[in-house]
Amino acid sequence: MKRIAYFTADEHRVYAWRRGRLTLDAKFPSDDTGASAFREYLGGHRGALFSVVVDQAGEDFHEELIPYLRGSDREQVLRRRLAQRYRDTRLATALSLGQVSGERRNERLLLTSFTNTQRIAPWLDALAESEAKLAGMFSVPLLAPALAARLGVRGGRCFVVNANRAGLRQCFIDNGRLRFARLERAADMTPEAFAAFVRSETGRLAQYLSTLRVLPREGPPVHVVVIAPPGRKAVFERTLVSDARLSFVTIDQAEAARRVGIREAPQDMGAEQLYLQLAARRPPREQFARREERRGYFLWQMQRGLVAAGALAFAACALYAGAIWLDIAGIRSETTQVRADSRADQDEYRRKADAFPVTYTTVDNLRATVLEFTKIAQRSGAPEPTLRYLSQVLDQFPQIEIDSLVWQVDRASGGAGAKPPPASAATKSGPGSQVERLEVSGRVPGMARSDYRAITGEVQRFAEALGQSGVYQVERTQLPFDVTSEGTLSGDIGSTSGGEAPRFTIFLARNLP
Amino acid sequence: MNLTAREVRQLVLPLLAFVVLLVAGVSFVVWSKDKHAADAAVLAAARLERVQVKERLMRIAEEEREVREKLKVYQQLRELGILGEEQRLEWADSMKRIRGDLELPDLRYRVERQRALASVPGKPGTVDFYASMMRVDLALLHEGDLFAFLWALRASGKAYYAVRRCTVTRTGQPANVPTLAPRLRAECEIDLITIVDHGAKS
Repeated sequence: MKRIAYFTADEHRVYAWRRGRLTLDAKFPSDDTGASAFREYLGGHRGALFSVVVDQAGEDFHEELIPYLRGSDREQVLRRRLAQRYRDTRLATALSLGQVSGERRNERLLLTSFTNTQRIAPWLDALAESEAKLAGMFSVPLLAPALAARLGVRGGRCFVVNANRAGLRQCFIDNGRLRFARLERAADMTPEAFAAFVRSETGRLAQYLSTLRVLPREGPPVHVVVIAPPGRKAVFERTLVSDARLSFVTIDQAEAARRVGIREAPQDMGAEQLYLQLAARRPPREQFARREERRGYFLWQMQRGLVAAGALAFAACALYAGAIWLDIAGIRSETTQVRADSRADQDEYRRKADAFPVTYTTVDNLRATVLEFTKIAQRSGAPEPTLRYLSQVLDQFPQIEIDSLVWQVDRASGGAGAKPPPASAATKSGPGSQVERLEVSGRVPGMARSDYRAITGEVQRFAEALGQSGVYQVERTQLPFDVTSEGTLSGDIGSTSGGEAPRFTIFLARNLP
Repeated sequence: MNLTAREVRQLVLPLLAFVVLLVAGVSFVVWSKDKHAADAAVLAAARLERVQVKERLMRIAEEEREVREKLKVYQQLRELGILGEEQRLEWADSMKRIRGDLELPDLRYRVERQRALASVPGKPGTVDFYASMMRVDLALLHEGDLFAFLWALRASGKAYYAVRRCTVTRTGQPANVPTLAPRLRAECEIDLITIVDHGAKS
């Protein structure tokens, strides 16, 4: 909650402001007894947040030109100019009216202050002593540009005229900047008389400003925004007739209050409620309070800012986490659904599996047992078919006599025991595959030992016959006589002694699956 | 604006509140992200399981046909005594009986230590295959005795008999001598393969 001290010449009031609702908190006479009572009031509200709005006559407005400066240089110049102009600068400030282009770049200023600050000073001292957090100190004219903007004035020159508790307040605004203001006491009058008073005082002010050349003598009519007391708009509109110099626009006070965002205000408040609302809700930068006087307020702002930043960070994190948790909720829901689907499928699988025949073992073991055994059985050869085949072929070669047979199964790359002959192209297989081999050793005893050509021919025919089936491949034939260029050829021609018939060896092979 | 010590003290509590709120917010986000990651992992696992269950369900008809086919072979293996632990005494009995039945002049054998057969990597199930190599030395009247011996051995069951090597040589006995002396000798190496199914139901 913010408190607004409203100082007029007759009475000082404190309003409590909360979200557009103004309520009267205390009121004090403007004399010394009032100041004491105000001190006592502040004792019960130490450290409270305050804004001050002064609505008194005796304001000074003075235009000056200074060199165009920025930063601390400008601050120093402004302080010096204010000190030169006013004896007490506690309620003095400089408003910028913009740059002036010429030979030198200058800035036009409006210096403003109250001519008699002594009446207000004890009240401001009381505020400082109570360690109040002073948000700002304004005069009503300082708030007038903001009010004009809220009432729809867009640029140009205009008067804002209204009846405050202090009297008839007239502010002249040029392109959104305050140029002049005055407060005229207004005695109790009938609405018609007060409207006529507004008309005449506005005309006088326009005449005065023309004399000062603040307002040009020729040109379009100046807008006059008049805030009529509640229910008096019709009377004002009848009286305030526009002419070539002034163009009146009358707004009911209730409508103006709505436009500035007032939700509730005491019945006895005049148009000052509009200024108090603006001072509380949208205070302008230009004001009287010095930086040192607002130190408590800045500290309070920093405290609030830190807590607000923390809260904002937490809220942002919570928002982000909330989004994550929404996602988590989706994930959990999907997980539940997926698991339910899996369970349903598993149940169905079990139902179907229960209808399987009795297997004595698990399905996996059944499969592994049969597959592995089948592979082993396929890789295992049996000597009987091979020996039967050999026997069939031998029937065609009665002169050949077998001495020994070696049948074996080994890996294609090599075998155990006797060194196998090199694998022929026909029996070349991948690593790990099995090969069935038969080594046939024999003789041809029916032929003369010297008839090497006949013996060699007979063995070669026998080997060819063994390989004709297509199942067995003759890998190598070791003939009785070495007829290769690498070997040694020997003979015993003419000998009649029998001796042992020359031996031959044939190597057969076939791949196993 | 330079702050006095008193003003700094006045800012301590709001600053603390800022830090606490900030830390609380960030912690909340971190915790939420952890939860999100954990739940996402659970969902991924559930999805994977769902896919596997669905595929299994889709395969069940084929699985049933496969089970029926393989069950026949499995039952034969059970009936032949190939499934189960080695029965060496039964083997010895079989060898004695075969020699007698075939009237073999001489039969010597030696069964080596059992060894595990290398299996297919990634084989499902809990089934182990073992082999014990038997070396057999036979005296034969003619080559038909070898065939008869192998046939009788297979018929005796209690293992799967995979012949690895057989060598047949003449003894040197003349063929025209009318005696019952063995004319051939055979030396064979035979793997006696048995299967142990750890998942078999009693």
